[in-house]
Amino acid sequence: MDRLIYSSLAAMRGAMGRQATIANNLANVNTSGFRGEIANAQSLWIRGQELNGRATVSDEVKGADMSKGTAAQTGRDLDVSLNGDAMLTVQAADGSEAYTRRGDLQQTNSGLLTTGDGSIVMGENGPITLPAADTVSITADGTIYIVPQGGDPQAPQQVDKLKLVSPGGSTIAKGLDGLFRNTAGGTLPSDPDARVSSRSLEGSNVSASSALVDMIDTSRAWDSQIKMLTTAQELDKSSADLMQLPQ
Amino acid sequence: MTNAALHVARTGLDAQNSRMQVIANNLANVNTTGFKRDRANFESLDYQQITAPGAPSSDANKYATGLNLGTGVKIMATSRIDTQGSLQTTDRSLDLAISGQGFFQVTKPDGTAAYTRDGSFSTNADGTVVTSDGLPLQPQIQIPANATNVTIATDGTVSAALQGQSNTTTLGKIQTVRFQNASGLQAESGDLLIETAASGAPQVGDAGTDGRGTITQGSLEASNVDITQELVDMIETQRAYEVNSKVIKGTDEMLQTANQQL
Repeated sequence: MDRLIYSSLAAMRGAMGRQATIANNLANVNTSGFRGEIANAQSLWIRGQELNGRATVSDEVKGADMSKGTAAQTGRDLDVSLNGDAMLTVQAADGSEAYTRRGDLQQTNSGLLTTGDGSIVMGENGPITLPAADTVSITADGTIYIVPQGGDPQAPQQVDKLKLVSPGGSTIAKGLDGLFRNTAGGTLPSDPDARVSSRSLEGSNVSASSALVDMIDTSRAWDSQIKMLTTAQELDKSSADLMQLPQ
Repeated sequence: MTNAALHVARTGLDAQNSRMQVIANNLANVNTTGFKRDRANFESLDYQQITAPGAPSSDANKYATGLNLGTGVKIMATSRIDTQGSLQTTDRSLDLAISGQGFFQVTKPDGTAAYTRDGSFSTNADGTVVTSDGLPLQPQIQIPANATNVTIATDGTVSAALQGQSNTTTLGKIQTVRFQNASGLQAESGDLLIETAASGAPQVGDAGTDGRGTITQGSLEASNVDITQELVDMIETQRAYEVNSKVIKGTDEMLQTANQQL
């Protein structure tokens, strides 16, 4: 008996996974620096004894959409948006070095600089701690200047420089914590040409309209698989009818 | 697994709902003296690994990429945007505004300290300078009943001419407070902020020193809420809410088709 329904089942599972991916992209439509995921389906041939008779579908999240989100001015001194494909270097919760486009920097009570989701921001010399300061400013190349408490506003002092990287030829992929890492292992070197814009923040790159179109597409794919299942059901029924002995 | 999309979209609705509350609170406080607007910060939730990259797909092959499904979004924190509000002249001698960083320190009824940028002070029955809620300024300043022409200098020195005396008398000095991380202060009702582990310890001193702002007499600092910005944020929130509810509807329709046709 033909295993049509199993192929359909795999396709439906895939469609639901894709729907979950779209839902996650849309849920993060306002998350600063978020990179949407691209769902991808590929056929997986099941090797029969004689011929490749059946393909099923293996659904996977192929990777993140790395296009840019829109940056908006915020006026907050510690907000940075990254130009080009530059990324900020952060220390993930597991201690490894990871990369992010999220630039809403915060200070802890000890002055340690973190991103809005609590990852420690790395400078050229490791984690950055800002001393008590009257003003903080970040220049285009990521250098952080402060005017220390009671200091001369005309003579800002350099504290550290954000470690800015560009993936360049390296492949980076999003981990389970939403941060990017070098898939080949190891860390990326800092890029002296990377630039940031301070007092502005990049939004999510999820396009609500194209995600909605993808969603319609997914639900139609789901519907056609249901159609396949009902057709299989009818075929099954008619063959069972044929087999029935006349009364 | 089957209804993961529904739950993910629900986290989106929750987060947008919370953001709307932040915007509503900003707009509600558009005329509150010394109010600082809050911004909601979103964070994506952890990913769920369905297939690890490099896991075997068959005896000979490995998956080149993994299947990681995101589980949604949450509001991680709100940050108070500490930009200066505009100064509005009131010509009342006890209306004070801070230009630059810093807060006035007041004592709550339970004896603990609280901090505020709302400088609409008055005197109570015994001449103590208090906030509009009656909380005394710390250090306390007494203004005698026979004082006229109370002047407050930019460094906080309070002086007045006392009736029957030809010279002006110094009555005390208003000190201001700053914090390492002022956005870590916890907001309370009555325009008060209180110290937290995140804000660091209060650094008390004279206005205009060590990065503390200067005091302007006869002015109040307006709220820094920008109505246009809030309305744009509100539309953005509404649209995001709408797309998340569309996902719920879409997923529900998929499940409905399956239930009805199979």
